[in-house]
Amino acid sequence: MKNFDSVNSMKDKQGNEESPSSSLISHPSSLNNSSQPLLTIAIAKGRMQTDALALLARAGVRASDEMIKSRRLAIEDESGKYRFVFVKPADVPVYVEHGIADCGIVGRDVLMETGADLLQPLDLGIARCRISLAARTGRNLKSNLGAMRVATKYPRIAASHFGARGIPVEIIQLSGSVELAPVLGLSDCILDLVETGRTLVENGLEEVEVIAESTGRLVVNRASYQLRAEAIAKLLESLGRIVNEGEEA
Amino acid sequence: MFEPLSKIPDGLRYYFGAEARLRRQIEDTAMTVFDGWSYEEIITPTVDYFALFERGMGREQAARAFRFTDTDGRMLALRPDVTSLVARAAATLFGERERPLRLCYVAPVFRQQQQSHVEWRRESVQLGCEFIGLGGRAAEMEMLAVSAEILERVGLKGQYRITLNSVEVFNGIAERLQLGAEAREVMRHLMDIRDAAELRRFLAAFTDSVEDCAAFSRLTQLTGKREILIEARRIITNERSVAALDALEGLWRVIEALGLTDAFEIDLADVSGLDYYTGTTFKIYVAGAGARVGGGGRYDGLISNFGTPESAVGFVLDLDALTDVLTRQPATLMNGSVSEPAITQLSNDNLATLFIAAREKRLKNERVSLGVKSQG
Repeated sequence: MKNFDSVNSMKDKQGNEESPSSSLISHPSSLNNSSQPLLTIAIAKGRMQTDALALLARAGVRASDEMIKSRRLAIEDESGKYRFVFVKPADVPVYVEHGIADCGIVGRDVLMETGADLLQPLDLGIARCRISLAARTGRNLKSNLGAMRVATKYPRIAASHFGARGIPVEIIQLSGSVELAPVLGLSDCILDLVETGRTLVENGLEEVEVIAESTGRLVVNRASYQLRAEAIAKLLESLGRIVNEGEEA
Repeated sequence: MFEPLSKIPDGLRYYFGAEARLRRQIEDTAMTVFDGWSYEEIITPTVDYFALFERGMGREQAARAFRFTDTDGRMLALRPDVTSLVARAAATLFGERERPLRLCYVAPVFRQQQQSHVEWRRESVQLGCEFIGLGGRAAEMEMLAVSAEILERVGLKGQYRITLNSVEVFNGIAERLQLGAEAREVMRHLMDIRDAAELRRFLAAFTDSVEDCAAFSRLTQLTGKREILIEARRIITNERSVAALDALEGLWRVIEALGLTDAFEIDLADVSGLDYYTGTTFKIYVAGAGARVGGGGRYDGLISNFGTPESAVGFVLDLDALTDVLTRQPATLMNGSVSEPAITQLSNDNLATLFIAAREKRLKNERVSLGVKSQG
């Protein structure tokens, strides 16, 4: 929300000055100003949110428990330098691409599906899971390559995966309970996010192929990366340190 | 299927009122600045052969053009880019003219597919200039100075940042690692999204030197002022890249002398337009816009498509993006000066009297609004 903040601060300023044009000239540069607006981080709701807040806290960017429990969708950290906004995973790239949020924390699955044009400087290693192809246990997918039906929440990943292999597929887009589709005969297989694989097993499905690994990523808006360079470099450095510690441990 | 005529095609829009006035003002400011630096306006055709853009922009970019066929069956396109048209004119119409050529333009470009979700428009107006026939730092510095002046004059002083790089930094490294076309594209992509960890893993396949992997992946983080060049020199030793760093340092010295270091930044990880640009590149960002509002660079390879090879450098600013930013910042200088001058209301039942009065006001350049009744 840096745009909004900067507009507001200008209005305040203008109120105290005679001429709007002189206020602009004397207005301290928004790029080099020490009283910078908050750095906004959009975080995917759900499991990612818990893991991301824990990681941020270890990196020294902490929101009070009271704030976290409050169910508010936009909260500030204790230092007053950061704002977290909690949005649906697929909306994280939207907020960040438009620069409304400077940074975001979201799974690689979402980035692959939306094809968002963002910087992805850091793999946070949180919310680890995989994007897999699954089918009913014992089902041989190869025997049916002529016209395979794939049910998925990830039509774009599915299209590019099968497209690259020259396998024609009918993609059936669902928005949830994808595991039901092969059970009820809506599709031959599914392409979905798998964490432990328990849901698959419980529905009589088995993992056929892992298409990609997915973890939580820190993403950054291209303009913010330049315009808020210092603040973002600082965040990257402190998060990077924690992530590396995790890898070495 | 019934399609109401009220529907506007995706990515197109109207401008009116204060926004249209502001947009015109930005355009006039830019054209005045161009004129002040002796750039001559060139007005190019809106429609031209697709083949021209394909050669000029590269196949991938040109594929975004709206295309249709001419009466003789040849493929035409709505201009997706102005530079290709200017480059052709430089080689043909201006072939005999003394160099350097300084040309500027304001023109809409049309592109079917957006590259990012933020690029909503399919028609956008480019304010641009091209400096043709002279290589080296002076021409590049002129581009930077002209763009900075436009941004400051429209009221964005202290709110813009221009990043500098040279495609030769990347090219030198890719050459040294002997990357094939595919690997080169992977490396470019990982640099572009600044995924240092993944880049380090990827490069391990191309070099035995662990230091090289770490060093080159460090490039993704080299964004900053002059100190970036010092660090880069420790990492990069191949001749081609070092020459590019020398050139950047030369530009930076001038930027320092102009006191513009706050507004500029060196960004060695900027690797877009690798197959188009041949040297220095720059990108222009403005607070309040989520994507860049302009950019440019050296494209010495382009004009040879139309005749003899020639040095060229240019940049564009996106008028629509600038209008968006300034519309949302009511306190800027630009908006202050766009406030509407007073209007004199005139009315008279006698049309002759009314229009005589109106003409008098207009001769004094006053704004009038006539209370005209419908008289059949």
